[in-house]
Amino acid sequence: MRTTSRGIVAALALGPLLAGCFASGDGGPGTDGAGAGGRLRIALAVPPVQALSPYSNDATVLSKLSVAEGLTALDEDGAAAPALATSWKRTNDTTWTFELREATFQDGTDVTAEAVVGALDHANRAETRPRVLSDVTLTAKAADADTVTLTTKTPDPVLPLRLASPALGILSPKAYAKDGTVSPVGTGTGPFEITRLTGKTKATLDRYDGYWGGRAKAPGIDVSWIADGTARAGALRGGDVDIAEWIPTAQAELLDESTRHEVPSVRTDSLVLNTASGLFADAPLRAAARAAVDGGVLVDSVFGGYADEAEGLFGPAVPWAARDRVEVTGRAKAATAAQVREETRGRTLRLAAYTNRAELPEAATVLQQQLEKAGFTVKQDVREYTQMEADLLAGKYDALVFSRVTLLDTGDAVAYLASDYTGDGVYNIAGLRDAKVDRAVRAAAEEGDTAERHRKIMRAEAEILRTDAVVPLVHEKVVQGIADDVEGVLLDPRERSLVDVDTRIE
Amino acid sequence: MSVTPDGARGLPTRWRAVAGRAVAATALLTAVAFLPWLSGTDPALTVLRARSAEQDPTPAQLAAVRERLGLDEGPFVHLGRWLEGLGRGDAGTSWVSGEPVLPQVTTAFAVSLTLMLGALAVTVAVAALVSARTLYLGSRQRLLRGRAGAGAAVLAALPKFLLASLLATVCGVWLGWFPSQGWTGPASMVLPALALGVPSGAMIGGLLDQSLPAAFHESWARTWRAYGLPPGRIARTALRRALSGVLPQLLPTVVGLVGGAVAVEKIFNIPGLGRLALEAAVAQDLPPLQTATLALVLLGVGAGLAIQALRRALLGPALRDGALPALHAPALPRPRSLPWITGCCALALLTLVVAGLLRDPLHVDTAARLLPPSPDHPLGTDPLGRDLLARLGHGALRTASVALAVTAVSALLGLLIGAASQAGAGLTEVVSTLPAVLAGLLVTAVTGPSVWGAACAVCLVGWTPYAAQTSALLEQERASGHLLASVSFGAGPGYLLRHHLLPAVLPALLRNALLRLPTTVLVLASLGFLGLGEQPPTPEWGRLLSENQPYAELAPWTVLAPAAALALFAVLTVAGTATGPRRSR
Repeated sequence: MRTTSRGIVAALALGPLLAGCFASGDGGPGTDGAGAGGRLRIALAVPPVQALSPYSNDATVLSKLSVAEGLTALDEDGAAAPALATSWKRTNDTTWTFELREATFQDGTDVTAEAVVGALDHANRAETRPRVLSDVTLTAKAADADTVTLTTKTPDPVLPLRLASPALGILSPKAYAKDGTVSPVGTGTGPFEITRLTGKTKATLDRYDGYWGGRAKAPGIDVSWIADGTARAGALRGGDVDIAEWIPTAQAELLDESTRHEVPSVRTDSLVLNTASGLFADAPLRAAARAAVDGGVLVDSVFGGYADEAEGLFGPAVPWAARDRVEVTGRAKAATAAQVREETRGRTLRLAAYTNRAELPEAATVLQQQLEKAGFTVKQDVREYTQMEADLLAGKYDALVFSRVTLLDTGDAVAYLASDYTGDGVYNIAGLRDAKVDRAVRAAAEEGDTAERHRKIMRAEAEILRTDAVVPLVHEKVVQGIADDVEGVLLDPRERSLVDVDTRIE
Repeated sequence: MSVTPDGARGLPTRWRAVAGRAVAATALLTAVAFLPWLSGTDPALTVLRARSAEQDPTPAQLAAVRERLGLDEGPFVHLGRWLEGLGRGDAGTSWVSGEPVLPQVTTAFAVSLTLMLGALAVTVAVAALVSARTLYLGSRQRLLRGRAGAGAAVLAALPKFLLASLLATVCGVWLGWFPSQGWTGPASMVLPALALGVPSGAMIGGLLDQSLPAAFHESWARTWRAYGLPPGRIARTALRRALSGVLPQLLPTVVGLVGGAVAVEKIFNIPGLGRLALEAAVAQDLPPLQTATLALVLLGVGAGLAIQALRRALLGPALRDGALPALHAPALPRPRSLPWITGCCALALLTLVVAGLLRDPLHVDTAARLLPPSPDHPLGTDPLGRDLLARLGHGALRTASVALAVTAVSALLGLLIGAASQAGAGLTEVVSTLPAVLAGLLVTAVTGPSVWGAACAVCLVGWTPYAAQTSALLEQERASGHLLASVSFGAGPGYLLRHHLLPAVLPALLRNALLRLPTTVLVLASLGFLGLGEQPPTPEWGRLLSENQPYAELAPWTVLAPAAALALFAVLTVAGTATGPRRSR
């Protein structure tokens, strides 16, 4: 009996002992006093994957929290606006000069042409080059102390847009280590400076007083990464954070109306049909699917009202899309339900969806019913995205419920059209090979004039929709949760900015 | 994964156990090391995807990653390099982030271990509550009837992630008693520990509650009572006696939570080992995955040894000297409530299934989204406007039969491996801390997505509780006097198995398996994201729970109905098989 009680005592003593280790190991003081003195507490959704390296997913964190800046930025219309460069000039087809503003890095050194050239060179030579540079060869040279000359191998009309990409944020020379890693801690130029990054869970940012655009109104930011949407919404409702991004549809209705803010997103959900093999190699069947599918019913059900019915590939978050939209003509005639049944006898439609975005599997189930009404026999395959990507690119499915950002890091729509719908596109899940589409996309890519480029993009959109390779369903909206006493949060459709110098707690 | 090396047969038992552990651990780590090559998915692609989700990897980028990681060198070179580094205290760098792995894994491990200890405390408390009545009555010789164990079955059937959501919402967000998320201080441990500990405690308590009457029924208890020893003393000794058979269950039930509490870690945003291992596995980021697996293996072996030592301490020399009579349940009459409980559960489930089967489980009606229960939809509708009653009814048969089949296979495997004694013990320790998701990934890598994959994966890890139980009970039974007597009378192994060993193990094993049925249903559904198991929209109870979980607060009926159905099913099976002669003797 003595042994028993001794065992119990030992077990009970172990608990507090390890609890002690956990408090010192992870917590650290300051979390309870968060929000004190007007510091912003923000819950972000995607935990850092590469210690906030600008060459990864994490780049958007740097721009969202105004830590790093590029030479240019995007304005509301999606045009290039001055950032670290005050002005720029295209001297010939392939050469641009950028005039730098007087600014300092957060480590106290000056932003010089030399430093900018170094930063761009590092991006160019990065082990995995940022996507924004993958289709361009860029050479940077310092013309004088505050002028940078950029040369591209082939004419690149969207270069200023490219430079606004968060992946091309300019960091101080100190940020670039010999082994190729890049650390934005204390090396950016923005109004906020990262002082500490704790694994994948927390980061502390302080105001950078030497910011060229004036002192930020908030003294600092405490970031926590909360991957689970319900937990993020809970943190906001429980008062643990002031701003919580990307509140899932199921949770949005639980927030107070004054705290939920919807932003049209550049993300379009669509049904991508495999034109290369299987059922949908047949155009009338694709047309039948297009006619059967109604994205409108998804808006109020699956998306709980936080979406717009799709007009085309580009939604209301792309301001010029509605203005320049071209009517789709020359589509194939849809097969009737009886014809579909006859044509597909003994063959099932393999409908894929991935679980990473909770709405997609739900949408797939609704679409299944719509397609079955049109005469198809449907079988779903729902998995985690990385588990099915190889199969998708190999064309093992007939249709995919796909959520896609239509303005990629260039901020330019051509990149998306080229990678997803042209014959040699790297992400051509639809397996589309259509000479007219290729021609239309190429024409848009070569156009230098912004307004004309937009018109050509919309002409390419019409060409793509004509093939029925893709059936747009909805344009998503993002719900940002913002506590009542927070002012000046940026609601950016491109999800590139969130906090700037004016964001504050009243 | 064969674990009885031929050469080990002649070795002393201790060495056989060590060999069992070594072989099992080696096999497991090798399997993990081969994962990226088995899966047929290019690790360069998954690594790039993890780094940057919305980008389209160009062939040049993929080639750069492949070269940087040395993927062409094959698994053996990588495994060798990793093992060599381990010797120097360096577990390599993550393929995705390029950061050293060891600090990440140790931090996550410490977090998960702390959480597990919290859950252990809750487990002990709940188990004590569940078995308190039997302990009290038994020590006073007033244990006149058996217990149905319905309460324990209901608690054990509570899905952990649902309990976690509920606690986070009610105690965290609404009442503000504890943090609803995060890992900042001891206060953030309370809710997750409760969510993990309550079902585990009910499971352990249910087993303890079942074996206690047998301990009170032994002759020493009668003698002690005759001597007038206080009931407290008798209760303590009976507890020691019964605990030694139940303690090994802590390994798969509670210690396994270190790597297997992914859902709860997500809900409470806890940076634990389960999430780390899952993320690494999905990205095919080998160094952290291997290191996390190794940590889990070491934990399993360490905890296994600790539990073994604790059992030895509890039973003392009796076990070693073969002076232990085995625990055999007394013939207590069934409790009066038993037929009522069984009848009500059966009736309720039958009504549910029949009423559900008459309705269409697949009809989507987006206009009828999340309707509360009404005459049209007696249990309400789900987010797509499908009738919940119909989905429950149509899912019942598939859910129950798959879960029962998986449990039967697991129990049989556990019985066989547990009976393999020492070598089996090593394998049990190594596998019992392995998360089912990892088994799922290994199965997907070999077979690809399939309907039977989920069942296979769960069987692959699900046998450990039964093996632990079998080996603990057999150890006592082998030490008992009547076995020796039978042997000396010339009984062969077959006779011993049929007349002594199996009767000693089976009732407890059955109770254990039935208490674990609901968990099996949930684990099966949790592998869906790998493409294992039935694909949607097939109705299945585990899926109903997991797909409706985000709506738990907005439309509670969407999760309450399946959770209640699962509890009914659990109570029915547990109460329906409660042993003992009929009431009218």
